[in-house]
Amino acid sequence: MKDEVDNREERVANLKGMGCARKRVEDVRFTQGKGNYVDDIKLPGMLHGDFVRSPYAHARVKSINIDAAMALDGVVAVLTAKDLEPLSLHWMPTLAGDKQMVLADGKVLFQGQEVAFVVARDRYVAADAVELVEVDYEELPVLIDPFEAIKSDTVLREDLEDGADGAHGPRRHHNHIFLWEEGDKAATEEVIDSAEVVAEEMVYYHRTHPCPLETCGAVASMDKVNGKLTLYGTFQAPHVVRTVASLLSGIEEHNIRVVSPDIGGGFGNKVGVYPGYVCSIVASIVTGQPVKWVEDRMENLMATAFARDYWMKGKISATKGGKITGLHCHVTADHGAFDACADPTKYPAGFFHICTGSYDIPVAYVGVDGVYTNKAPGGVAYRCSFRVTEAAYFIERMIEVLAMELNMDAAELRRINFIRKDQFPYQSALGWEYDSGDYHTAWDKALSSVGYDDLRREQAERVEAFKRGETRKLMGVGLSFFTEIVGAGPVKNCDILGMGMFDSCEIRIHPTGSAIARLGTISQGQGHATTFAQILATETGIPADSITIEEGDTDTAPYGLGTYGSRSTPVAGAATALAGRKIRAKAQMIAAYLLEVHDDDVEFDVDRFVLKGAPERFKTMKEIAYAAYNQAIPGIEPGLEAVSYYDPPNMTYPFGAYVCVMDVDVDTGTTDIRQFYALDDCGTRINPMVIEGQVHGGLTEALAIAMGQEIAYDDLGNCKTGTLMDFFIPTAWETPNYVTDHTETPSPHHPIGAKGVGESPNVGGVPAFSNAVHDAFRAFGLRQAHMPHDHWRIWKIANDLGLHD
Amino acid sequence: MKLTDEIVIKAPKARVYAALNDPDILQQCIPGCEELTQHSDTELRARVVLKVGPVKAKFSGEVALDKSRAPDHFSLLGQGDGGVAGFAKGGADVTLEEDGEDTLLRYDASAQIGGKLAQLGSRLVQSTAKKLAAKLFKNFAEILDEERVS
Repeated sequence: MKDEVDNREERVANLKGMGCARKRVEDVRFTQGKGNYVDDIKLPGMLHGDFVRSPYAHARVKSINIDAAMALDGVVAVLTAKDLEPLSLHWMPTLAGDKQMVLADGKVLFQGQEVAFVVARDRYVAADAVELVEVDYEELPVLIDPFEAIKSDTVLREDLEDGADGAHGPRRHHNHIFLWEEGDKAATEEVIDSAEVVAEEMVYYHRTHPCPLETCGAVASMDKVNGKLTLYGTFQAPHVVRTVASLLSGIEEHNIRVVSPDIGGGFGNKVGVYPGYVCSIVASIVTGQPVKWVEDRMENLMATAFARDYWMKGKISATKGGKITGLHCHVTADHGAFDACADPTKYPAGFFHICTGSYDIPVAYVGVDGVYTNKAPGGVAYRCSFRVTEAAYFIERMIEVLAMELNMDAAELRRINFIRKDQFPYQSALGWEYDSGDYHTAWDKALSSVGYDDLRREQAERVEAFKRGETRKLMGVGLSFFTEIVGAGPVKNCDILGMGMFDSCEIRIHPTGSAIARLGTISQGQGHATTFAQILATETGIPADSITIEEGDTDTAPYGLGTYGSRSTPVAGAATALAGRKIRAKAQMIAAYLLEVHDDDVEFDVDRFVLKGAPERFKTMKEIAYAAYNQAIPGIEPGLEAVSYYDPPNMTYPFGAYVCVMDVDVDTGTTDIRQFYALDDCGTRINPMVIEGQVHGGLTEALAIAMGQEIAYDDLGNCKTGTLMDFFIPTAWETPNYVTDHTETPSPHHPIGAKGVGESPNVGGVPAFSNAVHDAFRAFGLRQAHMPHDHWRIWKIANDLGLHD
Repeated sequence: MKLTDEIVIKAPKARVYAALNDPDILQQCIPGCEELTQHSDTELRARVVLKVGPVKAKFSGEVALDKSRAPDHFSLLGQGDGGVAGFAKGGADVTLEEDGEDTLLRYDASAQIGGKLAQLGSRLVQSTAKKLAAKLFKNFAEILDEERVS
């Protein structure tokens, strides 16, 4: 007994609780090829669906002839809008209050739009039949440029009543979606007009795509005997899908079971509801057999949700000494053919109004105009909270441009404008309450870690050497300081399709002292099974290795809004901690009974309750769990279970300081990232190894976006980047080495002080890479060059600056 | 996309011009042409199997001829629909110039493509189009050359 009291360190280690670099339990099956993804699901009698898609970006559909396709052996059905219309499923609501065609209803509005759905006994037959469907199109004028679309006579959305309000207020043109504004416009303009220094710039964050390794897909199985629909799919929010499926189909919610199996990356791409899901369900209802639909890579890139595509026109004003006095921003947001952004209902531009960044800016205004064009719909948060990466890129570019205007060091400009530690909780000019932060400490640590002053000296020497003709390589120091806003969100102002954005956890402790916990979220690679078990281990005293985490089955998991926007740890993580505390509260009563003392006389210690002042008298959680089920305890009902639904009081505000050091070859446009330093402050750190993995992954996606990844269209509306030959995904060859670091400023309102981290590296990484490119050419007067900074575009910067003469 | 080239045809200009207007000869020249029927003096209907990189498709389309500047100039405008593979439209201006007993044929063609062809084949389209155009006129030259020999 004495031994067990003394070996506290060993007991803590055995627990593998918070702070421990526990290895990911998921990796055992993933690294052995034993994952279970949607495409691994094979049901008896399962049919296969495939889409006929539009080759045109804008055309009228004059006729669809399915005869030849139906005549092909093995084809079971070909669905068109006409077949879906009686069910009112030829259109569906989007997450942004707009509606979207499920199958082309009279016209097509983007290349790759779904026109007909072929169902066949075999995937190959389905593909062959797609080629046999004859569609007669009449080409219409194509609008690719949002600035042109907002003026054009060409009407894209003939289904919308002219002059009628949209979901977010008045529409001033037939291709206009909404104008959304925040802040004090008049006051901001007044400050800027009378400012000592003003910097103005158009900052474009190009259209890109989350491109998860596993594309989107679903298997729908309608059991006509029991009236139950089971839907397996790549869903980042399975519970929301169930509710939406019920509302759309009229099938009662208890008769729908939605299952998200293993998901091979989501990054926002799997938040939305796609025509493929709807068509699989309808096809299964029509045929009475399970129907699988899995898109290919081209379909994923050209038709499922894109990200970004924000033209951000900014004005920032300051005193001659560099103190920022105001920020003005107008965004032209290209939403494509339908407004299918995945944002909380109240915020059609997401949390873009976090664009005052990490700086104390007294007055600000932001206006966002949403515009329809002939491009794929979407506008999802690609590894970021809603539109936060756009906001961070915008402010971090504006700071650099202002630094040029002031002829000031950009690191110093940031330092003198940071929100000070004593200002938290900080009320921003655009309406957010930043919960906590210590920016100066993080910045100083980052700059001293990379040897900032030496880097600047080296850079200045390099410029001189370049001018003397001794080198053709310039050096850029890319700075980025970002504040994320994650953990959506408080139900009072955050909902999706009316569903409040709380989350949940349900725990059952088994009699032998192991446990299962289920959550309303769903891991897509984040490692929930690893980290949530660690939270529970610390909170309940049950070793993480004895806790199963299960998510994604709506029949068993408690309702939750899913995983995106770094919300799992801030919201479901909080629910998990609180559910764990409920378990602990009951365990305390049981322990006191077993030790024959009062409840207040025992205290929790790692994995047990001990008698205060006499730690040799204790009951372990294992003993308590057994007693909970098998011993009649007066006044306490049997069992040891808890449920917690958590409505966060505020968002969390993780932040970080990144520095990228890059050599740029002026003649070839190639870059060499010599050093990348990433300091993240995500509050309490649950698993340092998982955090590091998340940061590495996020930085690599940031590298991709900043340096080459884009969804590009030609004038005809052809998607030019529909394959991985043209769409840049970094491999080990392009990926630099990363140095990660941290400070720890716990969130004051989160039960364990955690803030979320998965998306920070993307939010902070993109400006760091882009600023490094810009900084390399700062000495030659470059103010703004749009991403992605591929070799050709960098070569072009150099050429335009006359560096090839 | 623009394609420009010239080729010497071993036949007099009048014969070259007539041959350019002969659907039978054209059908033999156009790579992958399965059918070419004339349904008015200036309108043709064509069916062509085309392969660009991984995309192989049967295009059916209309071709309109412009003979207003005969016999030195000849131009055509066409568009074709390849179903899921996409669509193509384009035109060509052909100029004929006497070169002794032979004829110098210059062509200046442009094309626009859309759909899967444009997406998958964008890297290959230019080179494929160049190759196809060259093959077309090479076939044409050979046919007229053989005609003269026989």
